Amino acid sequence: MGILNKAAAAGAVFVLVAGSAMAQGTLKIGVQVPTTGSEATYGRDMANAVVIAQDEINKAGGVLGKKLTMVIGDSACDPQQAVNAASKLVSQGVAGVVGGYCSGATLPTLKIYGDAKVPFVITASNSTKLIPANPGNAFMINSTGDQQATKATEFLASKGVKTLAIVNEGDAYSQDLANLTRDDWTKAGHKVVAFETANKGEQDYSAIVTAIRAANPDAVFWTAYYADGALLIRQLRQSGYRGVIAVGDGSNSTKLFDIAGRAAEGVYAFSNPIAQFLPAAKAFIKTYKAKFGNAPGPYAPLTYDGMRLLAWAITKAGTTQPAAVIKALASAHNEEWLAGPITFTKHNTLARSNFIVLEDKNNAWIRADK
Amino acid sequence: MATDDRPGAGTTPALARLAGPLAALADNAAARRAGIVALLALMVVAPFVFGEYATVILTNALLYVVLALGLNVVVGYAGLLDLGYAAFFAVGAYTVGILTLRVGVNFWLTLPVAVCTAALAGVIIGGPTLRLRSDYLAIVTLGFGEIVRISARNMSITGMASGLSGIHQPWLFGWHIATPRDFYYLFCVLAILAVAVSVRLADSRLGRAWLYVRYDEDAAEAMGIDRVRVKLAAYVTGAIFGALGGVFFAVNLGAISPESFSFTQSVLILMAVILGGMGKIPGVILGAMIVILGPELLRSLGELRLLVFAVGLLLIMLFRPSGIWPGRGRQQ
Repeated sequence: MGILNKAAAAGAVFVLVAGSAMAQGTLKIGVQVPTTGSEATYGRDMANAVVIAQDEINKAGGVLGKKLTMVIGDSACDPQQAVNAASKLVSQGVAGVVGGYCSGATLPTLKIYGDAKVPFVITASNSTKLIPANPGNAFMINSTGDQQATKATEFLASKGVKTLAIVNEGDAYSQDLANLTRDDWTKAGHKVVAFETANKGEQDYSAIVTAIRAANPDAVFWTAYYADGALLIRQLRQSGYRGVIAVGDGSNSTKLFDIAGRAAEGVYAFSNPIAQFLPAAKAFIKTYKAKFGNAPGPYAPLTYDGMRLLAWAITKAGTTQPAAVIKALASAHNEEWLAGPITFTKHNTLARSNFIVLEDKNNAWIRADK
Repeated sequence: MATDDRPGAGTTPALARLAGPLAALADNAAARRAGIVALLALMVVAPFVFGEYATVILTNALLYVVLALGLNVVVGYAGLLDLGYAAFFAVGAYTVGILTLRVGVNFWLTLPVAVCTAALAGVIIGGPTLRLRSDYLAIVTLGFGEIVRISARNMSITGMASGLSGIHQPWLFGWHIATPRDFYYLFCVLAILAVAVSVRLADSRLGRAWLYVRYDEDAAEAMGIDRVRVKLAAYVTGAIFGALGGVFFAVNLGAISPESFSFTQSVLILMAVILGGMGKIPGVILGAMIVILGPELLRSLGELRLLVFAVGLLLIMLFRPSGIWPGRGRQQ
C-alpha cells in the first residue's frame, strides 16, 4: 500500500509539474466525455468536434495570444470515474471545461467545478436535475427535457392538433418527457385523451392501439426509443389510424424506418440539432469527414459550439479569471453558432430551445420546421 | 473453495525475489509495526503533499478498501463466492439518499438504519443460499445483485433511472464535512476501522468457525459448529461493511444512480480481493489500491489505459495465482 501510495503521489506530482511547465503560451481546456465504456462512441464524436474547433481557433491566432490545447478527462459514463476525471482536470489547471454526456455522470462533477470555479459548458447532458445542482459556473447549451415538451406542444398545436394521446415506456427519460408534455399540453388549453405506458421490448401493442383508437386523438406522441416506437407506429397505421404521429428525440434514428417501413411516412420527430440539418454546418461536416473518415454524430455540432463559445467568452473577458469568464458566458446574447443562437436564462439554460423538427419523407428525415 | 495458498506457489524466481521484502514485512513483527506507523503518517500528510486530485482518488481507493475488506469476510474468510456484493453497497447508499431526502432524517441517524437494512439484506441473500455451493451460489448472488439494481432503476422512491441527487454533506460537531480533504480523512477513519474489525474477526471464535466451514462444512458441523448461523453471520458482516461504504459514498458524491451499482462494480470489488489474496488483510488492501489507482495512474495513456491495466492484471494472476500478498494468510 505504501509503495503504491508513493507511486500514486509521484504520478500526481509529475503531472502537476509537467502541467505547469507546459502552461507557457498555451491555454488548457478540459474535455469531459466518455472515451471508454458503453457510450464511448458518443464521447469520441464529441472529442473529435472539439479537435476541429481547437484547430480552427488556433489557426486564427488562438485565444488571448495563446494556443488552446485540449485535455481529455474520461468520464466513462460513470459518476465515480467522472468525479476522478473532473478532479484531475481541475488539478491540471484548465481554464474551462466543455463536454458532459451522461447526465448521471455529469451531476456530481458540477460541485467539483463549482468549488474550483472552473467555467463548464455542458454540451450534451440535458437532465432537468442538473439545473438545481448547478452552482452557477455551468452553462447548458443542449435543450433540456422540458424544452422538448414546449417544442412538441408548439409544433403540434401549429398543425391544428386539439386532442393528444401520449405513450411512454416507463423509464426515467420517456416518462419524464411524457409528464412534461402532458403538463404543457393541458396548460396550453388542449386535451390529453389518453396517457399510456408501454412495456419495453413488447412485440404486440394491440392493447394500447385499441385504447388509442377508442379515444380517437388528433395526434399520438411516442416519447421513448425507436425500436419499440417503430412497432407501435406500424400497428397503429395497420389498425387504420390516420392522425398525426410524432416521436421524441429517442426515436429520431433512421433505424425507425428499417422497422416501421412505409408506415413511418409523415411521422414527425423532435431532435437535438444534428449536423446534416443545420444550414451553417456544411463546412463543419466536410472538415469532420476529411479528418475522421465518418460523418459527425448527434452531439458533434453542439460540442463544437461549446468549445467556440468558451473561447469566445475568454476572449471577451480578456482574461482566464473564472469570474470574468463566467460573466462573459452569461452575457451571450443571440450570437449565431452552428446550432443556432445562444442566450442563457438565469438558470444558465438556453432561453430558446434548439430542438428541430424532422419529418419522414420516403424513409428519410427532412427538416419540417424551417 | 479450497485454494492453493502456499507461499510462492507458481512463482518464478525473479518474482519470488521481488516478493522477498514484502514477505519480510509480513513476518517480522517489529518491521511490521514500523511499516504501519510510517503508513499512518503518510496517510495523514498525503493530502497536503500530493494535492487535490490525489486526495480524491485516494478517497475512492479507501472506499474500495472498506468494500473489499467486507467482501473478504464473505469470500476470503467463509469461502462463499459472492458476485452481487454491489447490492449491499447500493442498500447503504439508497438508505441514506431516501431517508435524508424524502424523510428529512439527520445523516448520522441514518447510519443505524442502513446497518439494519444491510443486515436484513444479508439474511435475505444468505437464507436461501445456505445449501448452495460454488457455481450455484455464484449464480444466485449474481441474480440478487441484478435484482437490487434493476429495482432501484424502476422504483420511484429510488428516483428511477436518474437516481437521487442533492444529498447534503453531513456535519459532525460543528465540522462540515464538505471538501475532498474532509472526506479523505473520513474514509481514512472508516478504512482503519474496517481493518481493525477484520483483524479482530479473523482471530475470533467466529473467524475460526468460518475457516473451518470454508475447508470442510461437514466436519465443521460434526464438531458442533452451527453451519447456518456461521454462514449467515458472514453474509451479514459483509453486508454491513458494504452498506457503510455505500452510506459515505452517497454523501461524498452527493448523488447516486443505478449505474454505480452494476455487475462490473461487484466484479471490481471481487477482483480486489482475489488480486490481493483471499483472506489476507494486507493483500486485500493492496488489491483495492491497485484496482482503483491503477486505471487512474494510467489516465495519460488515454484509450489504451484499460487495456494496459487488464494486461497487468492478467500477468499478476498468471504469476501469483493465490494473490500478490505472500505468505499463508489465515492458514497458519
